[in-house]
Amino acid sequence: MQKAERLLDLAALLLRASEPVSWREIQEQFPEDYGGSGEAAIRKFERDKAELLELGVPVRWVGGDEDLSAGYLVDKEDFYLPDLKLPPEDLALLYLAGSAALAQRAFPYARDLAHAMNKLSFAARAPGASEVAAVASLQLSADDADPGSRAESSARLEALSTAVAGKKRVHLVYAGAERQARTERDVEPYGLYQRGGAWFVAGFCMLRQDIRSFHLGRIVSLTVNPAAPRTPDFEPRKGFSLAELATRESWEFGVHAPVRCRVRLDGPASPEERDSFGPRATWKESDGRAVAEVMATNQEAFLRHVLSLGDRAEILAPRPLRERARKVLASLARRVS
Amino acid sequence: MTRKAAPVKADARDRLRRVLFLVPYAVRHPGVPVRELARKCGVPEKQILEDLDFLLGVGCPPFAPDDFLDLYVEGDRVHVALHQSFSRPPRFTESEAAALAAAARALGGEGTERVVRALREAVPRDRRAIFEELLACIFAGSPPAKDSLLGRIEQAIAARRALRIRYFTATRGEESERVVHPYTLAQRLGHWYLWGHDEGRGKALPFRLDRIRECAVDEKRFEPPTDAELARGRLFSEASGPPVRLRLGPLAAAWALARPGQWRVVKRDRKGGAEVEVPGVSDEWATRFALSFGGDAEVLGPPSARRHFGEAVRRALARYP
Repeated sequence: MQKAERLLDLAALLLRASEPVSWREIQEQFPEDYGGSGEAAIRKFERDKAELLELGVPVRWVGGDEDLSAGYLVDKEDFYLPDLKLPPEDLALLYLAGSAALAQRAFPYARDLAHAMNKLSFAARAPGASEVAAVASLQLSADDADPGSRAESSARLEALSTAVAGKKRVHLVYAGAERQARTERDVEPYGLYQRGGAWFVAGFCMLRQDIRSFHLGRIVSLTVNPAAPRTPDFEPRKGFSLAELATRESWEFGVHAPVRCRVRLDGPASPEERDSFGPRATWKESDGRAVAEVMATNQEAFLRHVLSLGDRAEILAPRPLRERARKVLASLARRVS
Repeated sequence: MTRKAAPVKADARDRLRRVLFLVPYAVRHPGVPVRELARKCGVPEKQILEDLDFLLGVGCPPFAPDDFLDLYVEGDRVHVALHQSFSRPPRFTESEAAALAAAARALGGEGTERVVRALREAVPRDRRAIFEELLACIFAGSPPAKDSLLGRIEQAIAARRALRIRYFTATRGEESERVVHPYTLAQRLGHWYLWGHDEGRGKALPFRLDRIRECAVDEKRFEPPTDAELARGRLFSEASGPPVRLRLGPLAAAWALARPGQWRVVKRDRKGGAEVEVPGVSDEWATRFALSFGGDAEVLGPPSARRHFGEAVRRALARYP
């Protein structure tokens, strides 16, 4: 019997049974598959059971007692997707979140996400317009250009998603931005994060012996350790926080000792502008103008951020950085005139 | 603990995932067209027909006639008699729920943690710990700032409230006040759009997010759009002027070209710098983008964009006497 068929038959048998099904009975029902005696048959059954578990079919073994015989069962309560019991606005948010993520084309576990979106119509009490909106958003985004590189980056993201979930080491050929040179290294991938529309994998780099982030777009090639796919290769370091790493501002990467920087904006800052200086910036108002203060460990990155705000913003301190801003702008002004 | 590993036989697993959704879906929607199932599952119709064929052979031991799935295809419509074993799909797997929860967190909003809890509950009990572990491994972006444009639009879509916006129409070069029923957000050609019904014009239109100057959520609620209304939006297109041309230094080029976006590299120099063209962006965007490289990039053309860049540089320089 084909594997897919066997798994589905097995699921149907266990779902329909009102009592645990004994191993002997399972062997009788699937004589070709589990009929053999001894270890091999049990191992095959255990593998199938694990696959069913991964598909969301929770098969478990229950020991017998006076009232119940020992055997395998699928707890119906634990199998069928329940109603999420969320208010309509939360459900709408969920549809919107899922469809916006899918519309990006590259998202970790994108295939799982698409399955989840399908299942949502069963888990929501009021399917309808929100679901329609989700589907529409996908179709609206479907004809986005550049399919080649997108397919490539989503394939990479999928491979890395699998590696992160299985805690499998990956081998990367990586083109660094600053050095231009290609390097090869083994990385223990701890997690995936998105920033400014690009995805990064964060993890322990065996080459640098430290936590590093890698831009997916600069990964030249990627191999997931194929040995023992179900056995983890590593445990992430204690205290590692992906969210902390992912929300680090570009000027918070450690290049030099912390320097207090101040910026003045014209008028009150918009929510987007405030947000762009990150959660650790402190704000003051003076003469109807907003002044932000940050601690930078990479002043050059901070300068770039301030320049991107054009004439809306001006560096007040420290002096040398202010001088550097003037120089950069003066040199650009010479080039444009 | 068993963990999700590289799929050994992706075909078998994919098929099972599909049919575990397909059967309950067909039970709930009697006579559903094959086409619709194919669209839902993201596979060709031929694949669905093969899946249905496969399902015909699936039964439940001891495989008496009653133990088989009662399924038939009539014309192009699928009928499944109520099947007691597969009346609903299985719970979310940990990766399905984690991907959805990560997406919800990136979107933000008041209901986020409620949603994450509900998703956790919808995972089989003994997989919930893995769900949490996996969710901690995905960070899909910081949610938009409270009261930011994106935050307000998302909130309005979810609550079905109209938006009052001031919108800049690039083709006419003017701003106008609009009341829009926000239907959905869509990404096209590298830009985010709000797709919604414009009250004043009496039809649904795309609004590019970076051209919305002001935006307030109205008290007024609106009726959800029909499928047909949304379908009309599938092929919206927008006139866009000539592409903006930028010169990127070696560092800027290495950063920029690794990012998603619609670049066309016109020229590359030996040191790693590049000249690129970006279609459909405003002069303002080009200026900000070039300046974000701290002197390693400049806007070359068209003339209006070059002028905009030059003026911005001079005005910014004037702040540093």
